[in-house]
Amino acid sequence: MSNGLPSVPVSLPQARTAARPFSLTYANRLRVAGFLFVLPALLHFALFKFYPMAQALLLSFFRYDLTSSPEFTGLGNYRALYENPLFHQALGVSAKYTLGVAIPEWFLALGLALLLNRAMPGRGLIRLAYFLPIAMSQIVVALVWKFLYHPHGLVNGLLATVGIGRINWLSEEATALPALIAIGVWRGVPLFAVVYLAGLQAIPRDYYEAASMDGAGPWQRFRWITLPLLRPTMLFVMVMSLLMAMKVFTNPLVMTEGGPNGSTRVLPYFIYETGFAFFRMGEAAAASSILFGLALLFTLVQFRLLRRGLA
Amino acid sequence: MNAKTRSRVLGWVVTLLTVAGAAFVLLPYFWMVSSSFKTQDAIFRLPLEWMPREPRWQNYPSALGRFPFGVYFFNSTVMALAVMAGNLFFGSLAAYGLAKFRFPLRELCFRAMLSTLMLPLEILLVPTFLVVRQLGLLDSYGGLIVPLAVDAFGIFLMRQYITDLPDSLIEAARLDGCTEFGIYWRIVLPNCRPALAALAVLSFRENWDQFLWPLVIISKEALKTFPLGLAQFEGFHSASYHEMMAAAAVGMIPMILLFLLFQRAFVRGLTLTGLKE
Amino acid sequence: MWRIGLVLALLVGGLASGPGPAGAQSMKLTWWEHANPPHNEYSKELVARYHRAQSKVAVSYEVFPMTPYFKKVTVAMSTKTGPDMFTVMDPLMPTFIEKKMMAPLDPRSLGHASMDDMKSKYLPGALDGYMAEGKLYALPIVSGTMSLFLNKRHFEEAGLDPDKDYPQTWDQLARIGKKLVKFEGDKMVREAFDFAMHSSSWTMSQFEPILRQFGGSTLDPTGRRCTVNSEAGVKAMRLRASFALEYKISDPTVSVATHPLPAEDLAQGRVSMFITHPGSVAQFGPEKMKDLKVVPLPQVDPKKPVTHFYGFALAVNPDIPADRQKAAHELMRFLVLNPKEWLEHTAYPLPIKGFLEIPGVRSHPYIDVFIQDMSTGRFVTRSPKFTEIADAMHRAMERVVLNRVDPKRSLDQACQEIDLALSKP
Repeated sequence: MSNGLPSVPVSLPQARTAARPFSLTYANRLRVAGFLFVLPALLHFALFKFYPMAQALLLSFFRYDLTSSPEFTGLGNYRALYENPLFHQALGVSAKYTLGVAIPEWFLALGLALLLNRAMPGRGLIRLAYFLPIAMSQIVVALVWKFLYHPHGLVNGLLATVGIGRINWLSEEATALPALIAIGVWRGVPLFAVVYLAGLQAIPRDYYEAASMDGAGPWQRFRWITLPLLRPTMLFVMVMSLLMAMKVFTNPLVMTEGGPNGSTRVLPYFIYETGFAFFRMGEAAAASSILFGLALLFTLVQFRLLRRGLA
Repeated sequence: MNAKTRSRVLGWVVTLLTVAGAAFVLLPYFWMVSSSFKTQDAIFRLPLEWMPREPRWQNYPSALGRFPFGVYFFNSTVMALAVMAGNLFFGSLAAYGLAKFRFPLRELCFRAMLSTLMLPLEILLVPTFLVVRQLGLLDSYGGLIVPLAVDAFGIFLMRQYITDLPDSLIEAARLDGCTEFGIYWRIVLPNCRPALAALAVLSFRENWDQFLWPLVIISKEALKTFPLGLAQFEGFHSASYHEMMAAAAVGMIPMILLFLLFQRAFVRGLTLTGLKE
Repeated sequence: MWRIGLVLALLVGGLASGPGPAGAQSMKLTWWEHANPPHNEYSKELVARYHRAQSKVAVSYEVFPMTPYFKKVTVAMSTKTGPDMFTVMDPLMPTFIEKKMMAPLDPRSLGHASMDDMKSKYLPGALDGYMAEGKLYALPIVSGTMSLFLNKRHFEEAGLDPDKDYPQTWDQLARIGKKLVKFEGDKMVREAFDFAMHSSSWTMSQFEPILRQFGGSTLDPTGRRCTVNSEAGVKAMRLRASFALEYKISDPTVSVATHPLPAEDLAQGRVSMFITHPGSVAQFGPEKMKDLKVVPLPQVDPKKPVTHFYGFALAVNPDIPADRQKAAHELMRFLVLNPKEWLEHTAYPLPIKGFLEIPGVRSHPYIDVFIQDMSTGRFVTRSPKFTEIADAMHRAMERVVLNRVDPKRSLDQACQEIDLALSKP
């Protein structure tokens, strides 16, 4: 049941059942206790997340311009999206961006976490250095990179020193999205490395010691100890990196306005424009519902895959 | 002997690569700090100037004096710390329930919570705004903090970590007659330090940088947050980026402090892989 | 460490009950404005002065970041939590009027005998952008136009006299541009002319004047059909593209991806001619302005000049009671009392007749050029769908200058997109 990990907790109440005569009530007590632990969060979610989400999903069946009262249109908003080539473009752009950012993050973040976990001189400072990009304010990030990507800017300057000619990063359809993907990776990798570092801590040290005594080399220890025990963290990173990349917004807004020719108009940007610049809240809600559905699908597949990987 | 030197050399090479990578990752940050000491004019000069010709320290006092940044700084700190505390407590609480107990609809609860991460904030803005208005929390710290105080990111992260904790630990405490909340408080939480530290840092970072939500629900100068102040350096047709960079550099200090404070928690110990060679 | 966090949470819980609404014995008006630093400073000063001048009304003035400012206003108005008065940008007027987010203004409460009397005191057409069906919905404050800035040193180096040889038509601009542009090999290292197109709003403010000079328009007079793919539209687009593609005096890849402040390319000497607004004079500063000169916007036919006009204006929340609306009118009237000060503090003129005759105004550099261009200025296309139209036009231009798509074909596609947007309620 619990995904991607040995389901030990499940066996616990059952063991009790056998041992004690008043076992049923005991098992029930545990159930209630578990539920009570979750309850505060659940109540909060009901009020601040589920209710607004239900509102938003409901709105996708209405015509709503934010100021006048909503008007039922059935599937009208979905039809409008289906007929809108810009929406199709945004879907494609979002898919490319999301995978382009998330997949490198999975590997690079783990690699970085392993590197930072090693003993080395000045480790604290190096860790801080890798952390700084994620500490930078989102607005500043977009602004700074816009300067660095300028046709005569730093990135091209560095490339020139190795003999690569000028690349018009943000003004050509072929390079604008990869340029934004690079920023996403630059900021996402240290973030998930922090998560991996915490995950590495959960692995008891004696496992490694025992394996070393049995003559396991570094790769074997990584393959047979680190990797399997890191699985819950990996699931977290895989799911979160996708969800976060799917929601990217500030960079395309500040750096490219979704251009050139729509090549960086990701779905959240499309949604923002449709809702708050074009005042078609219903259509924006419909697009969000589709984004929601896609994200849900992605996550379910990941949970499945990782569970199977374990077995 | 030979193998030993080899692995040592290898160790140094990896260290060097790590440092080189850090330098590369830091370039944009370096450019930001360097720009904060330049004139606006020099920021736009091409080819880029790595170092300001003569550092203008006065950018800092003039930037911070432009808007009441002391107030913004305080508000952002209060908001980020309170939301962080909420995330740590409620996140780990719910995660413990989800990871180590069985009850009906448990998986559904978890999935439903996770699904809240999938809708863009933009689309939830108006409905959430209406809830907060109904609660009378517009233009208050409560409005800044309460809606963000529990988050699926934290629950998910903590759940993944807590599932890995050995059940024998909990079992033993239970046999000792510990209350269920006592087990959470005295056994589970202390064993989650690395994850709590990571969550603390990530949550603080996220909420220190909140922009859209404070923008929408705060209309009083006295309650504005730091990122709102930062964005005010940009006007319709003008901007003062040197001052913006200076303010942004100052705005990173709390996050850096927090990172330094917590980093030991998620790095302690594991010298093992390096030492055992 | 989590214990510390909990303590803080409790502490904050206490704070949450902190600042509540102040007890108001006099009337309290709120005024929201977008961030625009020098302008905001002046607004604050005016509010302070207003407080000294009367004791009836207390004004609470709040500034919000520029980019999402209108989002904030929209959310606030749609949830009935809006301010009493707010500053609005002219292209959004039709949308806001359509959504009933602004109350019609009463010219008499603003100190004018009638609407016609008020119009006669402003530059021709200066109020048009803020009117619908004969009613005025916002009072203009900072107003601007787009004029041609040129680098005198570059002109002199090329053997041109910036005082005589400056371009009055687009053809002249192209010819002069050939003398100013600089290449290293086949790499353009200095643009003779930069046609700003880093955002859709700049694309519109630079392209629409040319379109109108050719006699074209983005929409037909009813505002329900796209006409930009007409002959005039194609001519305008072709002309615009020719600077990059035919004459090669302009580098569109730089125009698209330039810094957030595009005029800086001119100030840094990377561009010889650039079309920008009066605020740039203050932004560049007197030192840089020594090398620069401002001349009227080039024309297709200098005898029939058409230029660009834009501005910000003050609007009143329609949901507030009549006495508050009245108080907001009085505040507005007070705010625009001193046109010369507006110029001095914000670098933008107020669009009133006789502005140049106010003592001391003429000493402001190039103010006569700006007023001249403002007098023939027209607002961008009025439509509640303006943002979508601007987006479609921006993409159309990108296709032409970056991907070399045929202008007619690109404009046809833009019209399809625009017509689709217009067909939606």
